[in-house]
Amino acid sequence: MTQSMLRKIILLVLILAVMTFFTIMSPYFFTANNLFTLLQEASFLGIAAVGVTFVMIAGGLDLSIGSATALTAMVCINFLEYTNLPVLLFLPISLLAGAFVGTFNGFVINRFKLPDFIVTLSSKGVFSGLALVIAVKENGFVSNVFIDNPTYLWFAGKLGPLYYVTIAFVIIAIGGHFLLKWTKFGTYVYAVGANKNAAMLSGVDIKQIKYGVYILAGVAASITAIFQSSRMMTAMPEMGIGTELDIIAAIVIGGTAFRGGRGDIIGTVMGVLFLTIVKNGIFKLQITPAIQQIVIGGIIIAAVVFDEWYRNYSARKRNMVV
Amino acid sequence: MSTNTNDILVQGKHVTKSYHGNVVLEDIEFDIRRGEVHSLVGENGAGKSTLVKIITGVTPRNNGEVDFDGHELPIDFPRTFVEKLGIAVIFQELSLIPGLTVAQNIFLGREPKLGKTRLIDKKKMVTDAEAIIKKYNFPLDPKAEIDSLSIGKRQLVEILKALSMDSKLMIMDEPTASLNLKESKLLFDIIKNLREEGVSILYISHRMEEVFELSDRVTVLRDGQKVALLDREEISPERIISLMIGRDLSVSDYEESVLKTVSGDTILEVKKLCSEKKFSDISFSLNKGEILGISGLVGSGRTEIVRAIYGVDPITSGSVLFDGKEITPTVKQSISLGFGFVPEDRRQQGVFMQLPINKNICSTNFDRYTRMGFVNEKGEDAIAESGINMVSIKPKDPNYIVGNLSGGNQQKVVLAKWLVRDLSILIIDEPTAGIDVGAKDEIYSVINNLARKGVGVLLISSDLPELTRLSDRIIVLREGKMIKEFKDQSITEEEVLRASSGLI
Repeated sequence: MTQSMLRKIILLVLILAVMTFFTIMSPYFFTANNLFTLLQEASFLGIAAVGVTFVMIAGGLDLSIGSATALTAMVCINFLEYTNLPVLLFLPISLLAGAFVGTFNGFVINRFKLPDFIVTLSSKGVFSGLALVIAVKENGFVSNVFIDNPTYLWFAGKLGPLYYVTIAFVIIAIGGHFLLKWTKFGTYVYAVGANKNAAMLSGVDIKQIKYGVYILAGVAASITAIFQSSRMMTAMPEMGIGTELDIIAAIVIGGTAFRGGRGDIIGTVMGVLFLTIVKNGIFKLQITPAIQQIVIGGIIIAAVVFDEWYRNYSARKRNMVV
Repeated sequence: MSTNTNDILVQGKHVTKSYHGNVVLEDIEFDIRRGEVHSLVGENGAGKSTLVKIITGVTPRNNGEVDFDGHELPIDFPRTFVEKLGIAVIFQELSLIPGLTVAQNIFLGREPKLGKTRLIDKKKMVTDAEAIIKKYNFPLDPKAEIDSLSIGKRQLVEILKALSMDSKLMIMDEPTASLNLKESKLLFDIIKNLREEGVSILYISHRMEEVFELSDRVTVLRDGQKVALLDREEISPERIISLMIGRDLSVSDYEESVLKTVSGDTILEVKKLCSEKKFSDISFSLNKGEILGISGLVGSGRTEIVRAIYGVDPITSGSVLFDGKEITPTVKQSISLGFGFVPEDRRQQGVFMQLPINKNICSTNFDRYTRMGFVNEKGEDAIAESGINMVSIKPKDPNYIVGNLSGGNQQKVVLAKWLVRDLSILIIDEPTAGIDVGAKDEIYSVINNLARKGVGVLLISSDLPELTRLSDRIIVLREGKMIKEFKDQSITEEEVLRASSGLI
């Protein structure tokens, strides 16, 4: 069995195990209402995580994803507050803002040949600062603009019991999986993450791929921003900031290699579900939220330890055969 | 024995080492006297580096005994123990810390302390460093950061570091590889001084004139065995080279090279090619169906030239003609013209370790199985399978992860990704480095078959038997310049080795 299959099975068993555990421990966990809310929460995290999975498979890291959500949300709010343009235009404008944010990251990384970590750590600051600068203000203080536009608020709605955001997440995950596994672009993403030099010698335009993955992450952030601000009926400059660590955690739990070249969207979806269930369940148990952080930290370490162990194990097995 | 045992610093008896059943050193006897320059020579893979690693405890020996200064060395020991014994090693790869100064690097781990505190006495460190630099008359500033120094000067710092340890034995592995003529002369003077002071030097070099100039004795290794120990009066470059090679071209090899037919059409022509620093004024042409060997020591510019032709590195002047038309090489264009490029470092540049065989093979073939960017999985599998069959990769499973394959099979994957295309030119750099014998032969026949089909092959190899066996012509490079071209097919290893070592 391949490592990625084995991981998915273990993750699936773990998801079922924690769900059983929380169902037994709390009467509030396994209710239709909570499960759909849980899926909604997972979707906010998951849409951005699909984008960042591309970045990480290509060997990069996007620490600016949370701030990108904040910035694109503020762009939307400004659009609603200050213009009289047709309301539906906020959609392409938000997506464009996301694409711009990704292009910025890609440009700095490609042009100045800097490490992804440093660039996105810096752009994280730049984007959240910009979000604050363009925030709607009253007497110098940031004021919360209430969204009352029904078109915008539609995004917070449901189809039956299912939130639209969850449907969007499913569509984006399927699309992301297809893009990664079935297109030239997707294969190049793996190639760049697995071995930059070999990719270059095989004729892959590495810069183009870097632009591509960061733009995908930026656009994913802007989609999250639309759904998130619609649900909260407002947007704040600090919205989404800090979620980058949860997103990276979910991706790593899902089996994407931190060094790149390995991973997939199915793993990321499972990682997102697992993380959200653990957070939600701990919340429902009404224990202190500090436990959440400790548990999540422990899970990440366990996931990486498993990877290392499995790699050494399969290397040993291989050496015995040869 | 005429020499007193007290004169002998290092003595090895029955030293044996094998990796995974491959014997790399077989029952080696050697000794190094106090105050002598002892050279260790042999082709690549003869076992020189392994012997050094055993003396310095980097690699444990399987069998035998090594005595240093009258005591037997343990099989396995740490670096710090080596320094305590009085052995200093100057490796080819620099082990300096770039952000620190010359003085800091020289005294790394042995910094002078400020009184009884644990603080470093920076002033004393600089004056101590200055004293050593002055003693040997090196053109170095103790306060300069390593970053700001040329590679040659860094090598000098490395040598100073070893000198400052008052070592009894200094091991130098290709110390002049990155030194210019003046710096090399300086090093030779130092080596001669050290010998006067009673320090022993184990000197490893491919450059015969250096070995000839410096050595008191020479040990020649070939295929893991000691074939000769020469005294000063017996040393001559010709003698060493014939001992290093020591085998004749077999009849079948000869037939193989005669069978090839080279058509007259030129596929690639290079005229007065220059790069910024690596090479200059390179001109040659390659015919269809011809295997052109490129020989030269590491650092002679051979890899840089083919990288420039393939479009990876920039060219400052000169021209490249493909099929009679001048081109400005870029990787994309080269691939579409039918170039294949198998790089020297398989792990770093050739394969995608984490990816399966099919993705590796298909990484150069998207134009053939994608439509508007979408992958046609059937086409992908078909290409992967034909590649696997062409070079018989084992296992045949296209979904097998390449990182789990043996070195030989990984190299076949790199070849396969080009073979499934219609090649016009194959550039192949060190095709069989680190590959077992069986896979080597398979790779040779792949290269020969390609040439028979009319593909022009540019072959770089440090393995001289391989180079002379496969090549129709060989050009020899030295320090970025073409110094010799062998045109007939009866090229001998000896001639090539003499040319690349500068003996013509």
